[in-house]
Amino acid sequence: MVFKNIICPVCGGSCDDVQVNLDTKNRTIDVQNACKMGNAKFQEVVSSHRILKPTIRENGKVKDVSWEEALEMSADILVNARRPLFFLGSETSCEAQEVGLHIAEYLGAPADSNATICHGPTVMGIQESGMVGATAGQAKNRADMIVYWGVNALESMPRHMSKYGVFPRGYWTKRGRFDRTMVTVDPRVTPTAVASDMHLQLNPSSDYELLSAMFTILNGKEPHPSVEEITGIPISVMKQTVEMMKESNFVAIYVGLGVSSSYGKHRNIEIALNFVKEMNNYTKCNIGALRGHCNVAGFNQLASYLYGYPFGLDFMKGYPRYNPGETTTVDLLREKDVDAAFIMSADLVNHIPADCAKYLADIPMICLDIAPCPSTTAADVVLPGVIDAMECDGTFYRLDNVPVYFEPFTESPFSETKSNEDTLKQLFAKIKAKKEA
Amino acid sequence: MQALLNTGSTINEGRLAKGGNKYSEDYTKECAVCWMCAEDFTSLGCPEKVSVTSRDGKHTVAVRSKVTEAMRSGQVFIPRSIWANVVVEPDTFSTGSPRYKGAPVSVEPTDEEVLGAEEIVLTLYMGGE
Amino acid sequence: MADVILKPIGNFDLTVEAEVVTPDNFAGKTADEIGKVLVWQGPAEYPLTDFFTVEGNGGSSAEDTTIIVDGEIPRVKRIGQQMTAGKVIIKGSAGMHVGSAMEGGEIIVEGDADSWVGMEMKGGSILIKGNTKDHLGCAYRGSWKGMTGGRITVEGDAVSQVGGGLSGGEIIINGNVKHFCGIRISSGLIVVKGNAFRTVGAEMTGGTIVVGGNIERFTPGFELVDIESDLKFNDIECPGEYNKFTGDYAIPQKGKGTLYVSCDNNECL
Repeated sequence: MVFKNIICPVCGGSCDDVQVNLDTKNRTIDVQNACKMGNAKFQEVVSSHRILKPTIRENGKVKDVSWEEALEMSADILVNARRPLFFLGSETSCEAQEVGLHIAEYLGAPADSNATICHGPTVMGIQESGMVGATAGQAKNRADMIVYWGVNALESMPRHMSKYGVFPRGYWTKRGRFDRTMVTVDPRVTPTAVASDMHLQLNPSSDYELLSAMFTILNGKEPHPSVEEITGIPISVMKQTVEMMKESNFVAIYVGLGVSSSYGKHRNIEIALNFVKEMNNYTKCNIGALRGHCNVAGFNQLASYLYGYPFGLDFMKGYPRYNPGETTTVDLLREKDVDAAFIMSADLVNHIPADCAKYLADIPMICLDIAPCPSTTAADVVLPGVIDAMECDGTFYRLDNVPVYFEPFTESPFSETKSNEDTLKQLFAKIKAKKEA
Repeated sequence: MQALLNTGSTINEGRLAKGGNKYSEDYTKECAVCWMCAEDFTSLGCPEKVSVTSRDGKHTVAVRSKVTEAMRSGQVFIPRSIWANVVVEPDTFSTGSPRYKGAPVSVEPTDEEVLGAEEIVLTLYMGGE
Repeated sequence: MADVILKPIGNFDLTVEAEVVTPDNFAGKTADEIGKVLVWQGPAEYPLTDFFTVEGNGGSSAEDTTIIVDGEIPRVKRIGQQMTAGKVIIKGSAGMHVGSAMEGGEIIVEGDADSWVGMEMKGGSILIKGNTKDHLGCAYRGSWKGMTGGRITVEGDAVSQVGGGLSGGEIIINGNVKHFCGIRISSGLIVVKGNAFRTVGAEMTGGTIVVGGNIERFTPGFELVDIESDLKFNDIECPGEYNKFTGDYAIPQKGKGTLYVSCDNNECL
């Protein structure tokens, strides 16, 4: 059967035009419009390596158990821990994340999400200086200058350029690519840089100096000449770039981890945001982050409106507190300041530094995921995941913080649970029963 | 050789990770790779495999080498994956985000075997369990 | 003067938050009462005696009370938070947030101190004899005003964001700093006797920064105005010749700060 307008649950692009032909008899799936990454994820519905049975590790050996036993053991781990870490990953719905946040609050535990090892500094930068943003559609229809700063859009969000950024024909950009100037700022010659009209190949971790110098130029002053050696970009090129921006009708800047993860972190974003604000004295200019995972923006929105902080929340004292560097996943694990972990829809072990991964493997860990990965290998309890946007409905937030409601085209393969939200609610009930007993 | 390590996504890394194939041979081939420029590759003696070591010398990982024009001398790139993260510094400068970009590392030729993702978890993180 | 001696006895598997350990809180309490004061570890509160032995009673007032921590407490946070008078001496290393939002009195850390020492401090003095990490005397997340008064002295090194948003008071670092020293300061004084890595005085709109060593990567938005020698700020002396810069012109705000950079150690400037 063919299903149209399916939301893709892979990257922050949340493409909403995917067409799926699912053959339940032969267990095959044909996917149209999705990119390489999207297609790979849709194949998970029929894949042979899908995790279908809960497992636990007993005396170093992994064995299959019933859902009831797995949930029971998970609840035991979380109730007996003094300070369990909740890592509520982004490849699931806001609804599931919300239940996770409530469990963390109930247990007085820290709760975090993928933003902490991704665009966390971007969110911190926004907190420092506010943001001139726009929805993806605005940029598509109006932007005639696109800047990809520290992001390799072609490989991290493959359809961004064709759907929102560079190629689509918008209302005021009728000739598509020909109506747009594309600039990439990256220390590496990425495929995105190759496809651009201009590539500023700056030295690694010199984004702040480059932005600061361009800001100085915008303010009508001459930057200190040492900046050429620091960034590897001639001042004349900086001037040209600022001039190009001023002469454009609408500049859309997209930042990636190159800005927020290289050192400078939130300060890089902060000055970029201030630069954009000032640029609006000359022309329309906005900035947005290319978010890597489908619902990484969702957790930030959800946690902000429920508890006031976008990520790295700590409920230790009964009320939410937030201090990146103290209450964030990597720091808590590095400082060994948690004694158990619940990881949902994220492969944390794969993506954190060795010292942290090692400690995570040491402490009791529960992992909810759909396929075998380093986190499920190191976990003590593995709960099978339901694939959002394919097997259950829910909400994602797109890269531009627009909520997208998705509906499934098939159903959960498990009789015990309808969705990750359902699994977490069952777990929460067990935790409450144990705690209040 | 001292170098600055950059990590990030590649399209095939994304395809394999999102498709749940982290324990496949293809994933190791795509991600356990250190990109460098021809000049650095030659100065290392054109090794097939290199070991990348973190600044504090605590962590080392063996990966295949790849020559590309995308890199400048003194800079190396490993696709975002468990191999890269073995040597990424855990210090976050009070931001929660470790140094995925621009961590200083040393790169040397090696004959060590390139481990799969699962072997890394089992041997490096779980103490050979 | 009454001394309360706290000797750490362990149980620091999870970090402890001890914002109650201040002379203000201990004044008028006996050793027994002090031992019953509750501190946080994870989501539960435990008496101080679970972690320390307590010797000596508190003084009649905060001024009369000296707290001596006799040992290493790198996993105890928030000692001396919001204290207004008296003295705290930590004979080893201290955890995060030492003297956070402190209003008066004196803190001496004989070892290293973790991040966030003297966050938004209003008065008093802090001396760190070892090294410290990030956000020394800095503003809280999202706030634009950091320390407003008092003095912090670090005999070793600090790392990043020293004195972020400083709007009064003095910070003296005898060692080196790394990134964003004096970011967005609007008043006050920061003296770094050693080297700085990059972005010194970024976004500053007032105040003074002196760097006696070398700046590896100079902030682009600064303009050379003068050369001055043998600087003196009250009791703080900075001998030698200094290039005087104003900035940061990278931001549109009208006010500009002053950045002195040693001539001898920065020939390329």
